[in-house]
Amino acid sequence: MDDDYYRKLGFRCGLEIHQRLDTAEKLFCSCSTEQDSAGIGKVYRMQRAVAGELGTIDKAARFEQGKGRRFEYNLYEDSTCLVDADEEPPHGLNIEALRVVLSLSSAMGMNVMGEIEPMRKNVVDGSDTSAFQRTMLIGFDGSISVNGRKIGIPSICLEEESCGIGRNYGEEIEYNVDRLGIPLIEIATSAEISSPQMAKEVALHIGMLLRLTGRVKRGLGTIRQDVNVSIADGARTELKGFQDVSMLDRFVENEVRRQRELADIAGLLKKAKASVGKAVDVTGVFEDTKAELVRKKLERGGRAVAFSLTGFAGLLGREVNPNRRLGSEISDYARAAGSGGIIHSDEDMAKYGISKEELASLRRKLGMRDGDSFILVAEKAGIAERAAEMARERAQHAIEGVPKETRVAVNDESCTSRFTRPLPGGSRMYPETDVRPIPVDKGMLDEAAKGAPDIGKEKKTLMSQLGDGNTVELLMGSPRLPLYRALSRTEGIDCRLVANVLLQKFTELARNGYRMDGVEDSKLVEIFAAYSRGAITKQAIDELLKAVSREGGLDIRSAITALGLQRITGKELSALISRFKRENKTGDVGQLKKAVMSKHRLNIDGEELNDLLA
Amino acid sequence: MYGKKVTSLLKSINADVMDRVRLSYGKVSLEGEVMPSTEANDPDVLIVKLDSGYNIGIDPGRYKAEKLASKPREIELPAAKLVRNKGLDDVSLIYTGGTIGSRVDYKTGAVHMLTKPEELLYEVPEISDIANVSIIPLLSIMSEDMSYVEWSKMAEAAAKELNGGARGVVFTHGTDIMHYSSAALSFMLRGLNAPVVFTGSQRSPDRGSSDAFMNLVCSLDVAAKSDIAEVGICMHHTSSDTACAFMRGTKVRKMHTSRRDTFRPINDKPIALIEHTGAIRYTSAYAKIDREGGERIKPLTGYDRKVALVKVFPGSDPSIIDFYREKGYNGLILEGTGLGHMPVTPTRKEDSWLPLVRDAVENGMVVGMASQCLYGRVNANVYRNLRLISGAGAIYCEDMTPETALVKLGWLLGNYGKDEARRMLNRNMVGEIKSRTGFDTFLV
Repeated sequence: MDDDYYRKLGFRCGLEIHQRLDTAEKLFCSCSTEQDSAGIGKVYRMQRAVAGELGTIDKAARFEQGKGRRFEYNLYEDSTCLVDADEEPPHGLNIEALRVVLSLSSAMGMNVMGEIEPMRKNVVDGSDTSAFQRTMLIGFDGSISVNGRKIGIPSICLEEESCGIGRNYGEEIEYNVDRLGIPLIEIATSAEISSPQMAKEVALHIGMLLRLTGRVKRGLGTIRQDVNVSIADGARTELKGFQDVSMLDRFVENEVRRQRELADIAGLLKKAKASVGKAVDVTGVFEDTKAELVRKKLERGGRAVAFSLTGFAGLLGREVNPNRRLGSEISDYARAAGSGGIIHSDEDMAKYGISKEELASLRRKLGMRDGDSFILVAEKAGIAERAAEMARERAQHAIEGVPKETRVAVNDESCTSRFTRPLPGGSRMYPETDVRPIPVDKGMLDEAAKGAPDIGKEKKTLMSQLGDGNTVELLMGSPRLPLYRALSRTEGIDCRLVANVLLQKFTELARNGYRMDGVEDSKLVEIFAAYSRGAITKQAIDELLKAVSREGGLDIRSAITALGLQRITGKELSALISRFKRENKTGDVGQLKKAVMSKHRLNIDGEELNDLLA
Repeated sequence: MYGKKVTSLLKSINADVMDRVRLSYGKVSLEGEVMPSTEANDPDVLIVKLDSGYNIGIDPGRYKAEKLASKPREIELPAAKLVRNKGLDDVSLIYTGGTIGSRVDYKTGAVHMLTKPEELLYEVPEISDIANVSIIPLLSIMSEDMSYVEWSKMAEAAAKELNGGARGVVFTHGTDIMHYSSAALSFMLRGLNAPVVFTGSQRSPDRGSSDAFMNLVCSLDVAAKSDIAEVGICMHHTSSDTACAFMRGTKVRKMHTSRRDTFRPINDKPIALIEHTGAIRYTSAYAKIDREGGERIKPLTGYDRKVALVKVFPGSDPSIIDFYREKGYNGLILEGTGLGHMPVTPTRKEDSWLPLVRDAVENGMVVGMASQCLYGRVNANVYRNLRLISGAGAIYCEDMTPETALVKLGWLLGNYGKDEARRMLNRNMVGEIKSRTGFDTFLV
């Protein structure tokens, strides 16, 4: 499907890219930005929605409060302090982080503020100990050029990363505070992206720019792409939580399909004059039920709550995405209220063990007429009522059209998503009065312009080092580009070999089960340095990579000796050849080479051997 | 306040703070509301709130400005509904100010006092399940600005509420000097037969993580349900939102600049721990409500402001005592080192505090000695120098905190005169002095 197809649908799409920065300290305190394993304790906090700036409680905030959850925060030795624990006001802004954002702003031609105003953005899902995220707008109204198309960049912000989520116990969520406060860049594009394919290309392009700063973190979750998608008959949806940017286009395609299906369903429901009945406690109907799912809940003092639906027959089971139905969309809302899910009448009741008599009694209790459907929730008291109410709200919205939602990726294979919370309203930000505004002077801007990432220039440099366009493109798209750049500065280094190891060799080893993501950059620097000074051969690099992937703290010098990887060269190699000649009683070059290499493959450079044998 | 540059720009387009404006230069165009400039902003930078919620600071010189609309109508907070429940007791919530009573103007970020205390109830609706709460807006003052002037007003107000039938009283109060106020009311409320609870917050209630909510709920629990007949402070027991501690008003102190669990009992244990669910667990002995006692509270609110707290430190100049004498001071609490020391035999003879203390006492000043260690008891006997200091007339204040000793001295002087003050300073009146210090009262 081409751009024209999406244009006709009224497709609108913009991205928000979040990237964690690799600074020494956090954004508003002096904690390390390295995530920590040394836990030092926990604190438990409750958070509640407070009146927003217009005196109203923000919709998303109230939703989270409705969940009534308690939060458990894990604290760490080096990466949490009182600021992160919401027990001390923030310190001054990390200027190192600001410099990175300013250089990116320069690269994208942004207008930078004369004075930066730190703000608090309300967050009530518990992912910030303070219940808000500190954020500031650094620049506005820039642009990037992706495959010849200009894409507007309305804003670039610098903000605090949230806590990492640990276990979710339903009514209580565990968070890791080591991640909280790491500097995070947010780059937003305008909604002029014209197709799912283009959304992916723009995301990849921005990822490249970020890596070129050389100051971004690498690894799972360090970059996140949120996509805002809508079609004319749909509504703005924010998609989050992709693991792999290469699947982004398929997620967007599916979201478009979901909105089309839901718009279609809304049309049918309106035509059928559909309506949603009131929620009714039907616990009595299931007093002696054999339906395991319901019985288990009721035995523990739970309640069964149901409501009827008119005009929905057959539609609850209609697929809106691969393996996702309207019923799943409604179920998501009940789940968000803490329930395990719903039972609806388009499903096979025998599957649940609900008897015909119970069904008839349920229908009576709900006052259902022929052709009506129902939705049933059995849960702990309190949750059942709330879940049914949430499900009712969603069912009601199905008649009106597509609700505005924040959705998360559920399945990277089918590229589908599920509802997680309503789209936050606009009244969520107010000034962070604990931090003074930060003036930006011309000196800072000039310095930023000098260090601004430049994709064209970078490609030229890489081309001159590597001489192969394909490798250059691969490297530009690789998260290891900053590492390549660092290694390529090593004296006497073979750039092609470095590129080859970082691109092919890493992938190959990872595919064979080696944990390459955990290999520290400093170890690679040591390995390549050993190679550059002639201490090891090319073949030995593989062995050292394997060894260091198994044991992160490996001392490279000792490992070379321990694994017998010292290079045999010069006089030592000549002597070895002479010994082989004597022992094998042959002067044949081919035979000798085979014999020597079969014993010392990892220690001898093939070219040097050839030269000596020639 | 904006400087000339911004003011003249705004004037030229007839715009004011909160008006909606468009600012443009070249192809750039921004729309938003003009925000007030605070003392933290550069006065020559114009602050505009964009529709995204972000505030931006821009150099007005570059932009062409245009006024789009006037200030929107203020949106009022819906008032909290106070529904009277016959099954619940009456508790008076006396509001004096502080972080717990402040809120942020969500547009400008300015922090101001609540003018309508009901706003707090709007955010903590569950308090209406604990008691029938009457709200008394007594003061609107940050705690660092308070003094004995406010303490007497607070004591009168508490007495009025309790004599008028309230089961208990909760004061919302700034945290900085809350322990001075709780000590003052402990002495002033003579004949107290009800819980009087001070509470506050270390994180302002504009944020969802504020400690104000639980502190308020637990304080009302103490006022409405406990059988404690003392003045105390009820704040977070730990950094977690799991329980608050109710601590004796004379034996408690703010011990951290910013943590939620800043208030700690000193040489004492909490009287009770209050779970966030409302369960009260008593953890040490306390004065109980006498169900038979129908006496009215008689507030005794005199206070002699001519008292001072003086810290002794290495190299400190003892002539500070003369300064106070010349200013007509009637009482001093010395915050000595260790067991209650001060320089007595220093290398430079003129640095000795001993003769000045002796002179002061001989001239009628009441001089008390407390310890800057805070924890533990002062002692007038262990070393020769201690004996010399007490011999010179300094009164060793047992296990009282310096702050409580100061407040007690001011109150004694203000109501009973010097002789009685001298006699009573180191004798227990309301639980401020304990004859024994439990092993488990250090760093709790």
